[in-house]
Amino acid sequence: MSRQRWMIVAAASLSMLLLAALFSPEHLGQIRLDLVLQGPLDVLPFGTDTRGRSLVDYATQGASVVAAPAFMAGLLVALFGVAGGLLRCQGSEWVNALIQAFSEVVGALPRMVVILVVALLLPRDHRSLYPLALAWALLSAPGAMDEAAAVAVRLGGARFVEALRAHGFSAPRIYLVHVVGHNLRPVVVRQGAETMMAVVFLEIALSYLALAENQPSFTHPDSLKSWADLLKLGYPSLIPSLDYPSGHALGLALGLLGLVAVMTIALGRAARAR
Amino acid sequence: MKRWWIQPLVRLLAAMSLPFVVPAVITGFIWALPGDPASLICPPHICGGTEALADRWNLNDGAIHFFLGWMSDAVRLDFGNSWRLHQGLPVLELLQTAIPATLSLIGIAAFMLIAGAVAATKGWLPRQIDPFLRVVGLVPALVLALAGAAFIELTFGFGSFSEGGRLARLLTGAAVLGFADGAFTGAALGSRATFELEANQRYVGMAVLRGESTQANTFPNVAPALIGQMRARIIHLLSGAVVVEVVLRIDGIGSLLWGGTLRQDFGVVLAAGTLFAVVSAGLLLLQAVLEAMVAIHVRRAPDGVRTDTPAEVCG
Repeated sequence: MSRQRWMIVAAASLSMLLLAALFSPEHLGQIRLDLVLQGPLDVLPFGTDTRGRSLVDYATQGASVVAAPAFMAGLLVALFGVAGGLLRCQGSEWVNALIQAFSEVVGALPRMVVILVVALLLPRDHRSLYPLALAWALLSAPGAMDEAAAVAVRLGGARFVEALRAHGFSAPRIYLVHVVGHNLRPVVVRQGAETMMAVVFLEIALSYLALAENQPSFTHPDSLKSWADLLKLGYPSLIPSLDYPSGHALGLALGLLGLVAVMTIALGRAARAR
Repeated sequence: MKRWWIQPLVRLLAAMSLPFVVPAVITGFIWALPGDPASLICPPHICGGTEALADRWNLNDGAIHFFLGWMSDAVRLDFGNSWRLHQGLPVLELLQTAIPATLSLIGIAAFMLIAGAVAATKGWLPRQIDPFLRVVGLVPALVLALAGAAFIELTFGFGSFSEGGRLARLLTGAAVLGFADGAFTGAALGSRATFELEANQRYVGMAVLRGESTQANTFPNVAPALIGQMRARIIHLLSGAVVVEVVLRIDGIGSLLWGGTLRQDFGVVLAAGTLFAVVSAGLLLLQAVLEAMVAIHVRRAPDGVRTDTPAEVCG
């Protein structure tokens, strides 16, 4: 598939996510006990939950929980990647050693331990995905910086910059256009997109684990529903003996996860080098 | 690169600091919370004896005093008691029960990754399954763990907590951990790509002309990268273990850590977090040692090679 097509797919999936977040209702719809657990063919477009409420609200509220924090984390990791690549172009051994030391310590931390420690600190009445997404971005930063630095080294590092200077290019043009725009772009965009996906998956995992223990989630207030609620609702449908017709919720949850995965792949492919 | 020892040295220093950094950060966080730690565990308006509790758990003289006291006890394998999760029970006892399950889980999953990397590099893993592996690699641990939990439920039903059920949970958990979040895909395809890239180097072509094997020449050069990748993947498995253990109800360290977090049991979180940090530090140390060994090996001239300068030869 060409880059242009990947760009269209990336833009479409990202727009869907952002629009869903933008138009999410503050509260779920009215309870309709006559429409309990209806499939998508009975109640368009995604069916209903155990109280007859449309699953559209679950999908949009879930998007509103993850969209902005995931985007922020992705952007932050991309910026860290840019910084890693540019610092390597400076060719300073001290800076490189400091970055390596930072990368070693941060990269060696088991991410889930750090995330859980951050979650432990969140005040119960101010639960949000932002601090966790920020922590995840900081933990992902060394990987992005390393990869961007490797690209800068392959490019020639400080010698590449010197060569362009000798050709009379200005510093902003060398760094912003040639180093970042032409060479670091594929790496930093892919790293950012992967971080976005990881933050979405992290939110779903944390919310599901809290739901499984009948505890409030760390990532959003109780008034909002996460995509993990759809997974929780749909899980019993996997066990036929329970005869619980909630497969449509499971399908919707998997579809939303698929949308995020497609968005990540498409962003990475759209940004790849020509 | 002449100063090859800098990288292993930095890793060594990071490995030595990690088991202290993690509990220090957690302790700092505990004191960063609004209110003093003893009142958090035992609010004075609903629970008597907050001061006695603070005294007993070393919470009354500030963060540094607590950290130093906790570390000196931890060195003697005394992690104190659980504050909330299993109130009063020694944390060491909880850890001793949980460690074997997590070790088995991580061990089997890590073996899968190593086997996948070897199979892909040797060409035993057909390339036709690459697209399938790429798709499987996108599936998050939670989704695969749910599928695994449903499989256990369907296969064992009420007997899922029997001895056989427990073993099935462990094996399913390891398989989930191995395949989820691109672990197996990354290990297999990543290792193969690294070897193939190195095999295209000119020196390998020369070695093949001399009658030497490709892998004997490429392995020492790709080993540092592969060791680093494998370490990162095993640390990733440690993180994934939390999700897998909770969903599949495996009583391991991850499950303990999650329970401690949900119930704000700092005693359990401190000990479990430090244990994860120690494992991670061990892996970092192993990487540093292996890297140093590889660096020394590739710098050693083989037998029969003359290392004297042309001037000495002529003179």
